[in-house]
Amino acid sequence: MIDVVQNTLDGVMIGSSYALLALGFTLIFGVMRRLNLSYGPTIMLGAYLGTLLYVQGGAGPATVAAATVLGAAVVGVYVERLCFAPMAAGAGIASMVSSFAIWMQLEQAAILILPRHTYAFPPLTTAAPLTLGPFLVRLDHAAMLAAAAALAAAVHLVLHRTRFGLGLRAIVGNATAAHLVGIDVRLSTLAAFALASAVGGAAGYLVLTVDQQVTPMFGMWATFKGLIAMMLGGLGSIPGALAGGLVLGVIEAQAQWYFGPQIRDFLTFAVLFLVLVVRPTGLMGEAPSADAAAPGRA
Amino acid sequence: MLEVSDVVTVYGKIEALKGVSLTVESGGITCLLGPNGAGKTTLMMTIAGILRPRRGSIRFDSAELVGSTPAQIVSRGIALVPENRLVFPQMSVRENLAAGAYQRSDTGGIAGDMERLYERFPRLRERREQLAGTLSGGEQQMLAVARALMCRPRLLLMDEPSLGLAPIVVDEIFRIIAELNRDGTTIFLVEQNAYKALQVAQRFYLMEQGRVTFSGTPGQLAEDEVIQRAYLGARRAAG
Repeated sequence: MIDVVQNTLDGVMIGSSYALLALGFTLIFGVMRRLNLSYGPTIMLGAYLGTLLYVQGGAGPATVAAATVLGAAVVGVYVERLCFAPMAAGAGIASMVSSFAIWMQLEQAAILILPRHTYAFPPLTTAAPLTLGPFLVRLDHAAMLAAAAALAAAVHLVLHRTRFGLGLRAIVGNATAAHLVGIDVRLSTLAAFALASAVGGAAGYLVLTVDQQVTPMFGMWATFKGLIAMMLGGLGSIPGALAGGLVLGVIEAQAQWYFGPQIRDFLTFAVLFLVLVVRPTGLMGEAPSADAAAPGRA
Repeated sequence: MLEVSDVVTVYGKIEALKGVSLTVESGGITCLLGPNGAGKTTLMMTIAGILRPRRGSIRFDSAELVGSTPAQIVSRGIALVPENRLVFPQMSVRENLAAGAYQRSDTGGIAGDMERLYERFPRLRERREQLAGTLSGGEQQMLAVARALMCRPRLLLMDEPSLGLAPIVVDEIFRIIAELNRDGTTIFLVEQNAYKALQVAQRFYLMEQGRVTFSGTPGQLAEDEVIQRAYLGARRAAG
């Protein structure tokens, strides 16, 4: 029983970073109705910028964090301009395929910046874990959960309490109508992309402080985790993305403890498969409305 | 006020507008009638800047609109109530109205306008915290009109506001159209309900297969013929 609770605790803390990854993914999907496959590599390249400052300049955690988040936002803007803006009126599949092509480009860029396979990433803390009765809590895990919760709350406030957020929600609701009330949809979409990539950058930073190392493969990892968490929770639903991330974290932690790392990933995909068979819209997703399914005129 | 000259808009591979010219006079209600597929909605979307014409000019108070973004066109004082209403379904009635005022920053003025619209549309006040997607068709139409009014347009474009609504709600919509016009908003209305539209309009155009085929004042053409052509198109009406 103690194991189950300890695993759940670990799973929720790790899952909070998946939740953030899924949140950024969902923001992009909600606004554009497109999958950005290079979302993970975008985060990875941001993290490489942070790593570069750390490896070559000995930058502290705050600088590395800022560089990772801002770097991801800038790369996100690049991806939007190249893969999404020119194809805004074209087929969604073209954007997805070109975001895959950019993925390869971003990986190569990382290798050009720092050519070795693995680089050290600065930890947030190396202090001993807290003991809470029979349970152990790693401090960097706890910081991850706290930061993820704060960021999710901040995104919620931006979406629901600011004019920019009102515009984004309007675009998600109906892009044509958003144009008609005078929202600059292209500019708002670009800003949403930057915001989503920055949120992803923050998630990536938190994960890497725990891993304490980074490789170009981190991009694929981040796209996978974000995509799985988003699909579990429900495409386009923000509460779903957060729940999906936490559920994914808990499933992984339990599976890792009881069955080991190989079975863990096998089980994760099995659960995703089952959820999609039983509830194709994910745990909290809604069936697409007729309006959303219809191709937009804009 | 609005002058459309020789506008050609291609939608997909179809030339939906084949050189449309018409004028909307300031202060009045102008109506555009025509059968399904005549290009009425394409014209509205072209004026609003959602679709880009391949040729032609659209002047609003003698400023050229072609090439402007939809947001710039809204800021010039044109708002479109789109076909099928297109409310923001996952946002409350109040948030839909706030989105309508997206370009404005006069908080006091926005609150005042919202209050006035709640007075004009009491059902919206009752449901102001309800999600727009849960409203009835008639209520959504009221909301779409109110949302468009939140940007204080001088010219209100309305695309089939009576589509799919019960007769009693249609009466209500047309009463509101007449009221808005009395209060000083110029209205350019697309309607399938030719009978209703001709009652409120001072001037109307008939559009068939991407071209304006008749223009005049209600009464200038026998009502039977207008209605027949508006619903069926000239060829089938003649044959």
